[in-house]
Amino acid sequence: MKARFSSLAGTRQLPTVFLVGRREVRMKLRSRIFVGGTIVMAGLVVVGIVAAALLAGKTNPVRVGFSGGSEALEPAFTASAAALGESVTISDVTDVSAGKAQVTTGTLDVLVTGSSTAPTAVAKDSVPAGVESALSLAAEAARLSDAGLSPAQVRSAMTLVPIQLLQPPNSKDTENLLASLALGILLWIALGQYGNMVAQGVVEEKATRIMEVLLAAIPPSRLLAGKVLGIGLVGLLQLTIVGAAALVAVHATNVAQIPALDAAAIVADICWFLLGFLFYATAYAAVASLVSRQEEVQGAVGPISILQVAGYLLMYASLPNPNGPLATICSMLPPFAPILMPVRMAATNVPLWEVALAAGLSIASIAGLTWLAGRIYSNAAMRIGARVRFMDAFRG
Amino acid sequence: MADRKLEIDGITKRYGATVAVQSLGFDVRAGELFGFVGRNGAGKTTTMRIVLGVLAPDAGEVRWDGRRLDLGARRRIGYMPEERGLYPKMRLAEQLAYLGELHGLTGSEARASARRWLDRFGLGDRATDDLQALSLGNQQRIQLAAALVFGPDVLVLDEPFAGLDPVAVDVMADVLREQADAGVPVIFSSHELELVERLCDRVGIIDRGRMVACGSVTELRAGGQERRWIDVPGASDDWDPGLPGARLIQADGPRRLFELDPGVDDQALLRAALDTGPVREFERVEPTLGQIFRAVIDEAAA
Repeated sequence: MKARFSSLAGTRQLPTVFLVGRREVRMKLRSRIFVGGTIVMAGLVVVGIVAAALLAGKTNPVRVGFSGGSEALEPAFTASAAALGESVTISDVTDVSAGKAQVTTGTLDVLVTGSSTAPTAVAKDSVPAGVESALSLAAEAARLSDAGLSPAQVRSAMTLVPIQLLQPPNSKDTENLLASLALGILLWIALGQYGNMVAQGVVEEKATRIMEVLLAAIPPSRLLAGKVLGIGLVGLLQLTIVGAAALVAVHATNVAQIPALDAAAIVADICWFLLGFLFYATAYAAVASLVSRQEEVQGAVGPISILQVAGYLLMYASLPNPNGPLATICSMLPPFAPILMPVRMAATNVPLWEVALAAGLSIASIAGLTWLAGRIYSNAAMRIGARVRFMDAFRG
Repeated sequence: MADRKLEIDGITKRYGATVAVQSLGFDVRAGELFGFVGRNGAGKTTTMRIVLGVLAPDAGEVRWDGRRLDLGARRRIGYMPEERGLYPKMRLAEQLAYLGELHGLTGSEARASARRWLDRFGLGDRATDDLQALSLGNQQRIQLAAALVFGPDVLVLDEPFAGLDPVAVDVMADVLREQADAGVPVIFSSHELELVERLCDRVGIIDRGRMVACGSVTELRAGGQERRWIDVPGASDDWDPGLPGARLIQADGPRRLFELDPGVDDQALLRAALDTGPVREFERVEPTLGQIFRAVIDEAAA
């Protein structure tokens, strides 16, 4: 512990990977782009969650007014509506034409007129199906009662058919789909952003010729590792801030029932970000090391960008059927898993073995890619000038 | 300390069919300033990069203090590459301290040393400026400071004087001399042969990847052509001393400049001159490094 403290005080030599990473973190934290970007990202996420909460709260009870003798239906209607899962508020309307005016202006959703055995429902453009059914049931009961059946006989005649659902729908389905999509987009942006940051950093060192000064001090593999780890930490920090803002917003707006937004899911998302970052950052670093000028970076990273865009499109293709073969297979493939798997996990229940397999494949591919990227980078780092061909860099 | 030396032993480097450096060998002793001269593309930069370990040689090795250079020893070499390079958007003090730490200093040592070198180069008040805010001349100073900030065991500088104004040249020369006097072997390349002659203890002339001459300027002169100014007012305009191996290079009124091949007796030239009448002046002219350089390169080409 004492050694650790003294290292902070600057009296020990620090590992070079740490030094390189620390420089990246410091430079990024100091940049306005990072600070501004974090605020914007956190702001967007909070706004999105608040919007989702407002959307979820929009299932207002249907306002139903009774007049002209239909008031007798009120108890039966209320009971039927409750049985049908429709939330309603009841009011008495003394004047039919005043009630119609209320429907027109939108202060009342449905006006029921006429007698209790033959009521008429007046609405602006549509009557919610549950309200219509409840009203029909109440009128039916009134007619049966009129025909001389006792209240008990009426009740038994009106009993609803019990329904057994094998796969009950999630009442939050739409919200959850939106949350999953938002999550996927956020991950996709973060991976692209930090991958490009690594690429820019690698080329910056070649373009400014500091590469030779650095490589005279430390081996290329450590320079690469330090850079990837440093930028990864910055990305993690930014996502953690955004994630924390999301959690606060989720709890403040009480949309925690949305599975995509619970704490465990957010932690899992951050883990997927790390895997995705390591995969893409090493790939970006390797191809970026082939060029020497900033203008050439976009061209060099093209193939990887295409892979990322493919992941983005696959995310849209998978969401409607998150357990379908396309979604299942693509969410196992290392280039797409870091986006597709968390999105699937948010949208549906993914079997644990699928998650474990996807993570395992990701880790294995990262190990292989790190070796490959280290080799390309080491061989290409000192070749300043014309673009280095991939195979030349691979052979060394 | 005094007997420590940097040995470059038989290094060869090929790029495809081109041989950049061929069985090149020389050594630089502690406290010595070694000038490395040669035409563009002769192999100077390749040699220096191999010393630094940024390039791997196809054959041969580099030793410091009798041991093959390893990662740890290389980290103790101060290097100024031909293509200058630092982070344009990083603060001066922070940048120097960072490079100091990469080369093995602790954090506080690195910060103190960065501060010292900034003060030494008169840039102490700009410690928190970004590098890109400096003039090119000041950026060059920072580049040198970057090579010195960790107190290197060996200094390798590729064209350190290129692009410097006369004042900056003096500062650079002072610093290099001071480092050498402190026991650091200093090797640098340059096209400024006068400067190399004035500054260096020893000089290596490289041509097409081979070391064609190596030693102190005095040693390089020995065995080469010599020149004599001779003032012979009584001689005719077409006077010829009739001495094999003596050529007239230049005539300035009664004064003539002769070049003597190695082994030609200058006293015979004097006697021939005395035969024309009085001799007012007879002066030995040492060839400059520039002349030696051209002669050596011509000889290597022949």
